[in-house]
Order: sequence, then structure tokens, then C-alpha cells
Amino acid sequence: MSSSPNALCFGYELPASGAPCLVRFGGQGLTVTFVSESPVGWSEEVPFTALSVSVGGLDHDQLVLKWTGDRGERALYLKDADLIRSFRRSAPESLHAPFEQAAERARLVRRRRRMVWGVVAGAILVLSAGLWRGGDLLVALAVERIPPEWEQKLGESAYRDFLARQDIVKEGPAVSAVQEMTRRLVEQIPNNPYKFEVTVVKSDVVNAFALPGGYIVVFTGLMKKATAAEEVAGVLSHELNHVLQRHGLERIVKRLGLVAAASIVFGDQQGLAGLMKQFGVELMTLKFGREQETEADLTGLQLLYRAKIDPSGMISFFERLSEKDEGRMEWLSTHPMSQGRAERLKAELAAMPKLSPVPFTFEWAAVRESLGVPLPAEP
Amino acid sequence: MRSEILYPGAFPMVRVELAAGEQIKAESGAMVGASPTIDVESKMEGGFLGALSRKLLTGEKFFFQTLRASRGPGEVLLAPTVPGEIVVLELDGVNEYMVQKDGFLAGADTVSIESKMQSFTRGLMGGEGFFILKIGGKGTLILNSFGAIHRIDLKPDQEYIVDNSHMVAWSATTSYNIERASSGWVASFTSGEGFVCRFRGPGVVYIQSRNPGGFGAWIRQFIPVSE
Ligand SMILES: [Zn+2]
Repeated sequence: MSSSPNALCFGYELPASGAPCLVRFGGQGLTVTFVSESPVGWSEEVPFTALSVSVGGLDHDQLVLKWTGDRGERALYLKDADLIRSFRRSAPESLHAPFEQAAERARLVRRRRRMVWGVVAGAILVLSAGLWRGGDLLVALAVERIPPEWEQKLGESAYRDFLARQDIVKEGPAVSAVQEMTRRLVEQIPNNPYKFEVTVVKSDVVNAFALPGGYIVVFTGLMKKATAAEEVAGVLSHELNHVLQRHGLERIVKRLGLVAAASIVFGDQQGLAGLMKQFGVELMTLKFGREQETEADLTGLQLLYRAKIDPSGMISFFERLSEKDEGRMEWLSTHPMSQGRAERLKAELAAMPKLSPVPFTFEWAAVRESLGVPLPAEP
Repeated sequence: MRSEILYPGAFPMVRVELAAGEQIKAESGAMVGASPTIDVESKMEGGFLGALSRKLLTGEKFFFQTLRASRGPGEVLLAPTVPGEIVVLELDGVNEYMVQKDGFLAGADTVSIESKMQSFTRGLMGGEGFFILKIGGKGTLILNSFGAIHRIDLKPDQEYIVDNSHMVAWSATTSYNIERASSGWVASFTSGEGFVCRFRGPGVVYIQSRNPGGFGAWIRQFIPVSE
């Protein structure tokens, strides 16, 4: 005969965590045999007529049998399905009704819980469907709840991952030039929460990108394509503003939809961080939306203006980039060019008071030459 | 498996001795040191998706490690991340405990661990998340707390009210409801959120003497805010 316990017995002199015991049902009642309380093997017989039946436990999944014996009140907690079936078989008619009532109550609790979760899941689905369909307000609300430190961590891990696989230009005229441009722009950002970091990567890709948290990459391909420093400064200004407006995060939240909405709404931002890390690589290929482009253009233009860098470089560069057959134009794949973008900027610029630009300290031709572009021949 | 708590008090560590071939489950990141005979294996139970969803829904922390004495007997030193006590429970096969996810430190291989979804209100208000661990089976279970661990014994139908952020573990025979604290309670309970858990026996409830969230808030006031 097996002596491993199948139930817990509670009572005045028994431990609060319950005394493990072996319960058996017979024709007249039950036998409880204690397996660890001294004296070990001591048993109590309880007639069915003395029992009251209810459900208990956190999940209402335990059958509770109570009685008052020689040693005061006793409660027996059963959860073993075979044991509960055995009780049902042996119990007299008089206990069937209370048993069914208890079982019904347990089912009700479980059903109600499933229903609540169903409603919650439905609400999340609706919410995330809203996000997918461009519920921009919801996206903005969710993005607002993400602390900047996270954004920084997320951007930084993607940035380091990316740079580890790239040929980085560590020093020289190109790096100094990009740093000077960034410095002049960043100085003009009031209450800047980010510590911007810019890296020049050797590649023919005509692109630049900004990761959440202020990590910026400029490819030498883009620098070679630019005929003036102001053009590159224009792209940088545009990228800086994608960071400042948290456009990357907005895209991620939209992209993650359901899961992100669920975890942000439930306040489990740790989980979201883990998930975003999985998507980290995708950060580089995030395609911004048209409205985000317009926003980054306009705020970028204003930033250039405040930094006293001629914004017409940005405009002419955008115009050139949007022309077809210009070779590899990766910039367009992540920053979709819409018609009239340059025109809009021109109109905006015309409305601003005339600017007397402060030139950079470097010669752009020399910077390009350091990247392998021959100096223009004298006409 | 034999365990011994070293340096009981605020900064304890537990030494677990394993016979050759024996293995235990431990919270990932809990291992401080081990004999060279011990192998560490990160188990992603339920495959990658299962692990990912667990990570997402129960928070980053809950990834198991299996520590196995594959190359002969040896010992492992385990310690929790936060300062606080360690308690060792012996499960007898019928006792089951609900454990909030940060409370688990290690357990014998014969101990079963199940991630369970709570009722929505409990999950939302309870402060321990939507998922808690249901731990049963037979063998040693090692829990840790933030601060000291205090044990409350409840007789059948006896009730006790605990601030929601102080819960560590409780018997599966105990039920609890989340309640809005009556106005007089709010100020005296440390979380200040105004939610308490009303436990109803029988069973035992383990609570921690410090509130992680409250401690975090206290620390933050000393961290200079960069402009
Ligand atoms: Zn853009």
C-alpha cells in the first residue's frame, strides 16, 4: 500500500502549511492517516455525516472537507483528481448536492476568469489594430511612456552591433568635418536630452541614418555625392530631428503592434526592452513615414537656420537625390521622397528672414579628396 | 542535493552540494561560483517562442538555468541579486506554493515550476505581474526576498492583510483578494498605491520586510537629474 500523501490536513495543533496525509474513502466515511506528524501513522476516522463540502484554494480548484472532531475543527484540502472522483463515488446521497454546488462554483470562477481575459485580449487586439491603422495618438501615448534611457540603450546596442561589422573611418578630414557640423547643429538644440554620437562609415551606400537615442551613421558614399558641406549638414540636421521627434520609436511601436501595446499598457517595459533588442537589427532599415519626413525636413531646416548654415544646400541635395538614375540611392529607401518636398522647403525658407551664413572651418573639396574624389579641374 | 545557508542575514548565500549526475534549477544569474565538475545549461523551456513570451510577460528575469554535476560531485554557490534573506522549504508532494517571479532562487530537479496566469484584477493590482509561479512536486525549494522574510501562519478562514508589494510566496490552499485599502490604511502601508491583499487561510504566507518599488523611489531622489 502506498504511503505517499495525497492531501493536506489543517487543524488547531497541526502546522499552518498543512499536515501531509493519506486519505481513503470507504463505505461509511473517510480515513485520514498522517504521514509526517508524530505519531506517524496515526489515523482518524470521520463519518460522511460529519462532513461539510466546499471549494477552496487560490484557483478554487481544491475540494475542501470540513468537520469538527475530538481535536477541534479540521479542514482537508484535496486536489488530486482521482481522489476527488473516489469521494464522489463513495459519498452518500446527502453530500451530492453540496458537491455539485461546489463544483459549479469552481467552474463559474474559472469561466469568469477566462471571460475577463478574453475581454482583455479583445481590447488589446482592438488597440493594436488601432495602432496598425495609424492610430497616431495611441502611438504617441505609448512612445511617451518609454523612458529616454531605454531609447538610448536600445539605440546603442543596435549601433555597436552595426559598427562591429563595418569599416569605420576613425580620423581625418571627413571625421572632423562631420563632427564640426554636428557640433554646430547640436549647440542650437534647446534642452537637448541626447548625447549625439556620429560615426563615418566607409561604404558606397548613399545614406545616413539616426538610431533612437542619438546614434548617427554617415556613409562616405553620401559625402562623396555631396558637392558642398551644407548638403551633408542638411542631411545631418534632418537625421538629428528624426531622433529629437522620436520617429524611430514611433515606427517600432507601430511595427510591434500587439505585443508592444500589451506590454506598454501593462507597464511591463522590461519585457518590451527584451523584445526590441530582438528587433534591434531592423532599426537600421526602418522606413520613416511621409509625415515624419515632412516634420524632420521642417524642423531640420529651422535647426540649420539657427546654426547659421545655409539651408539651400539641403534643398538642392534633396532635389538631386530624388532624381532618378543617380546610382545607388539608399537614402530614398529609408526616407521616402514625396513630390514637392523640396518646393515646400523652398517656400518655407523664402518666408524666413535673410540669413548670413557662417562658413565651416574646413574646405569641402579637401574633405572629398580625402575620400578619393579628385579635385575639380580648373575650367 | 544538500543545501546550507551561509551568512544568514542581509547578504546571504546558499551552498548546494550535488552528487554526481544530480542537477538543480536556478534562476539565471544566481550562480556565484561552482566546482569545475558543474555544467551550466540555459534551458529555454517551451522552445524559443515560449521563452520569448515568458520573457515578455513575466519580465526579463525568469530564465532558468540547469546546473548539473555532470563530471562528478561538486558544489554550487547561489545568491540573489538584491539584499535580503534566503529561505529553504522542503516540498512533500502535496504542498504547493505560489511564488512571485522574483522570489524563486533555486529548486531541486524534482520540483515542478509552472508559470500561471492570474486573474486579471489580481494581475493588475497585485504588484507581482500577470504571471506567478506555481511550484510543487517533491524536494528542496529555495526562495529569496528583498529584506527579511517573515512567515505568517493562517488557520482555516483566518484572514490577514498584506501590502501588495511585500508578497513573496503563499500556499496554494490560501486564497486572496485584492482590495482597495480603506483610507486609513493607505498612509500606513508602504506602497502608497492603496491596494492590499486580503489573505484567507489555511496556509502560510511569506512576506518581505522591504518593498522593491519603494526602495527604488527612495534611491532615485539621490540621483542627480541631468539637464
Ligand atoms: Zn528622413
